[in-house]
Amino acid sequence: MTAMTKREYENEDSARVKRVKTESNGDGKMAAASNPYLAHWNDEKPSKSEYSSSGGGGLQGFRRHATTTQQANAAEDGPTNAFTGRALSSRYLSILKTRRDLPVHQQRNEFLKLYQESQILVFVGETGSGKTTQIPQFVLFDDLPQQNGQMVACTQPRRVAAMSVAQRVAEEMDVELGAEVGYSIRFEDKTSSSTILKYMTDGMLLREAMNDHNLTRYSTIILDEAHERTLATDILMGLLKEVVLRRPDLKLIIMSATLDATKFQKYFHNAPLLAVPGRTHPVEVFYTPAPERDYVEAALRTVLQIHATEPEGDILLFLTGEEEIEDACRKINLEAQDLSREGGAGPLVVYPLYGTLPPAQQQKIFNPAPPPATHGGRPGRKVIVSTNIAETSLTIDGIVYVVDPGFSKQKVYNPRIRVESLLVSPISKASAQQRAGRAGRTRPGKCFRLYTESAFKKELIEQTYPEILRSNLASTVLELKKLGVDDLVHFDLMDPPAPETLMRALEELNYLACLDDEGELTTLGGLASQFPLDPALAVMLITSPEFYCSNEILSLTALISVPQIFVRPAANRKRADEMKELFAHPKGDQLTMLNVYHAFKSEEAQANPKQWCHDHFLSYRALQQADNVRLQLKRIMEREELELMSTPFEDKKYYENIQRALVAGFFMQVAKRDGNGKSYITVKDEQNVLLHPSTVLSEDSEWVIYNEFVLTTKNYIRTVTSVKPEWLLDISPNYYDLSQFKKGEIKQALQREVTKFQRKEAMKGKR
Amino acid sequence: MAQSDEEDDYMNMVFEDAPKGPKYETSLQRAARRRKEGEAKARQKTKAEREEEAEAAREASLATALPETNKGFKMMAKFGFKQGDALGKSESGRKEPIRVNVKDDRGGIGLESEKKRKFREQFEEADRLAKRSKEEEGDYLEVLRQEQKEKMAGRDLNDAQRTAERLFDKEAEEKGTPEPSEKPLKDINVLWRTRARRRAEIKRDKQQRRELNDSIASRLPTLAPEDDDDDDDSKVAQGQDLAPFYTTLENDVEDEDPELEDFEALPVTERLHKVLTYLRDKYRYCLYCGHEFPDAEMEGCPGMTQEDHD
Repeated sequence: MTAMTKREYENEDSARVKRVKTESNGDGKMAAASNPYLAHWNDEKPSKSEYSSSGGGGLQGFRRHATTTQQANAAEDGPTNAFTGRALSSRYLSILKTRRDLPVHQQRNEFLKLYQESQILVFVGETGSGKTTQIPQFVLFDDLPQQNGQMVACTQPRRVAAMSVAQRVAEEMDVELGAEVGYSIRFEDKTSSSTILKYMTDGMLLREAMNDHNLTRYSTIILDEAHERTLATDILMGLLKEVVLRRPDLKLIIMSATLDATKFQKYFHNAPLLAVPGRTHPVEVFYTPAPERDYVEAALRTVLQIHATEPEGDILLFLTGEEEIEDACRKINLEAQDLSREGGAGPLVVYPLYGTLPPAQQQKIFNPAPPPATHGGRPGRKVIVSTNIAETSLTIDGIVYVVDPGFSKQKVYNPRIRVESLLVSPISKASAQQRAGRAGRTRPGKCFRLYTESAFKKELIEQTYPEILRSNLASTVLELKKLGVDDLVHFDLMDPPAPETLMRALEELNYLACLDDEGELTTLGGLASQFPLDPALAVMLITSPEFYCSNEILSLTALISVPQIFVRPAANRKRADEMKELFAHPKGDQLTMLNVYHAFKSEEAQANPKQWCHDHFLSYRALQQADNVRLQLKRIMEREELELMSTPFEDKKYYENIQRALVAGFFMQVAKRDGNGKSYITVKDEQNVLLHPSTVLSEDSEWVIYNEFVLTTKNYIRTVTSVKPEWLLDISPNYYDLSQFKKGEIKQALQREVTKFQRKEAMKGKR
Repeated sequence: MAQSDEEDDYMNMVFEDAPKGPKYETSLQRAARRRKEGEAKARQKTKAEREEEAEAAREASLATALPETNKGFKMMAKFGFKQGDALGKSESGRKEPIRVNVKDDRGGIGLESEKKRKFREQFEEADRLAKRSKEEEGDYLEVLRQEQKEKMAGRDLNDAQRTAERLFDKEAEEKGTPEPSEKPLKDINVLWRTRARRRAEIKRDKQQRRELNDSIASRLPTLAPEDDDDDDDSKVAQGQDLAPFYTTLENDVEDEDPELEDFEALPVTERLHKVLTYLRDKYRYCLYCGHEFPDAEMEGCPGMTQEDHD
């Protein structure tokens, strides 16, 4: 009974502290009030965060940064939830048992000791060690962020990971997702005022830092999967390296899955390192005797060979992209059926896996392998043909054989021709090791590398280039400027990019009027940084009211920000193209996308949107997502007092206004037709390009703006809309300063426009 | 025939005498020329031409650094950036953007460099031959004689090696320690190792060719109950794998064998001499007598070389 009273007291206490927190954070709140990303701060739902009276004082005797594993274990054992005070469910207790078996649990003591002793800690745990789910919880029990009204943040490179891990941890902690444990990703925030552990994309934390330079809401920040070296993680590391100096109370944990973590250690002033072994079995690696002439063909051969000759166990094959994967799945299926009919092997099921696959289909990879065809027959097997998402981010149990042709699609950016594209490239040695490791999750496995051992040694680079070296940095530079980082030249990055990449980014931002000639952030730049968009898109959106079509540009921006809305299944291409034709606008793809969106929002379609999308070969998921993105962007526009308006549809300038508004964002992505042939030349960079075959642009368009420059064996520009040259000169006179142009056809053509315009003006003058 | 020749001459003469240059161009000629030029300009380039041009333009741009006139450069210069500097605190960052390589086929990793290596080797070989023939120019007969001699020595070497291998195996069998058939190459006497290596290479090439030609399904080992009646060779002959594809990797022909390389680098006559010596010392055998002598004296054998036996 006394214990009960005590608990109640504790409860009241913590509740009081909670209330105090919101007041003490007054400064932060002011900034937050105007920030959509922190919108949930303003959610005053006191009743929800108030602890129930039945107790919840599992934390008595806990002193911040002086707790022990014993204390935490006891608190976890219950009977009430240490954070909510509710009785623990039986499900919780059964999950707890499996959690205690995870490799990281063995080292909870060591972890706590290092965590308490130092401000920065590098933690290495191989996939399967349980670090992503357990370490943040270990931290919670020692950091007790709720005492100061703070939170623990754990970043993830991918949205899906942030969501699914948060879901899992909420279950492990026996709380509702969005309450004590939540997540925050671009365009979606599932947290509340009671949230103490927040999983989020690294990009989101970076955006929060723009409005809260010291990240005062967090007591501990965990950068997970740091070995992936995403652009946002790299920038965050550079920032946090400075923030920890300003905030001695902030703790920082860098988590990596690979052993080259010494690089992180060195970067963070020799921070202590703790390594936890993963639960892995040995993997035998095989190489081919000679280089392969066709890696796809060799991969198929190897998969079928394994199926026919190797003992039970699932196969994971790495290929590069959707088309290649779907094609391979089809071929494996056919051959495997033959095999199994002839009695040469058991049944085989093939599953594709790539990022744009709908979640329901992605989920299928977790289905168990098929049973033998006959009782006592040869065992069945499943094959997963995947892009490199299965390399680190997804864990599939049961994989015993890995087939690795050694390629993946990687983003490349080159500032000299301003192309950002996905190209099939050789993987790194580190990647190859990671892939091989996937075979040893359940039991000893085999990895078949479709290249020679000497090629592995001589041709593969050690580590995959971090994303920062392969990306256009315009957006990042704008964020950094907004973060108050002025000297970008000497900003302390782990792997600084080539100077030309920064040069190009600064130049682009200057043409977009986001930076002035001195490199200082302009008002427009500050405004653009509020949008979680590419600077060019943000500027287009901000200036769209000047063209009387901000509603339409808002829709278009959302449509451009989501995956492909048109579906074109291999089996039904003709029908899909016919359906697309229904929405086609002769002036271009952007206008066509807008038509699709308007049709999607019509009453007729909304009656049964899923069916409607299916019938019209459109991606319901992408359109829904676009709808959501549009809503989020609209909120920002309203907050920034940007007027939402449309030209009346009957007005003959309806589409022209939209085209002009597009120019305001895309004036650096323009191409002019070369002579009267099929090919185009990009303005300024003078690259020969072709219109992507998917375009609807039907009429002869002398000038086009494009959304994307795709590099393949042919250079393509994708998603194009025709524009008039006089708009270019009129809307972006800085970029189209003809004195800066190289001599050539493009300059001549623009010069003619100028002369024409001057003559017209002169005529007017005479009159 | 004669007529057409005449015509050609006539045409030539006219052209040679005709005034050249735009100076004498009549209005009609000018119009014709312009039309022609216009047509050339308007002519649709072939796909190949276009792709080539596009690639050339891309490569040229990729090789050209952004100039100092770039606006971004000026903003960076404000913070002390100079051409040739790297970014970051330590100045150890990269200076050049990462190269863009467009892969346009499905060749596996290492295929490209393998092709290049082969090409280089061929080139070097041709070069070497050309050099040698130049050096020996003028001494043609001597060269011929030398070549003939080397050829014969080569043949003898082959015979001697085969004999040595045979005798060695026979001896091992008699001793009751037969050699395993799949003995690692390194354990074979260097004097005739090249034979074993050649065999292994032939086997590998055959297998590779088969793998390449056979379709996926027919490439798969049949999974009928394993009958071990057939010996290995006949299985190979039937196109069946002795073991799954990858297990052959372990006894794959080793690429590096410095001992053998050193031996092979010796002139053919010297190699022959070594093998002959070995045969005489170890087995009291003379290749040219074709006889294994009962004692070390080898009485009756005129000598070591072919000439001795003439």
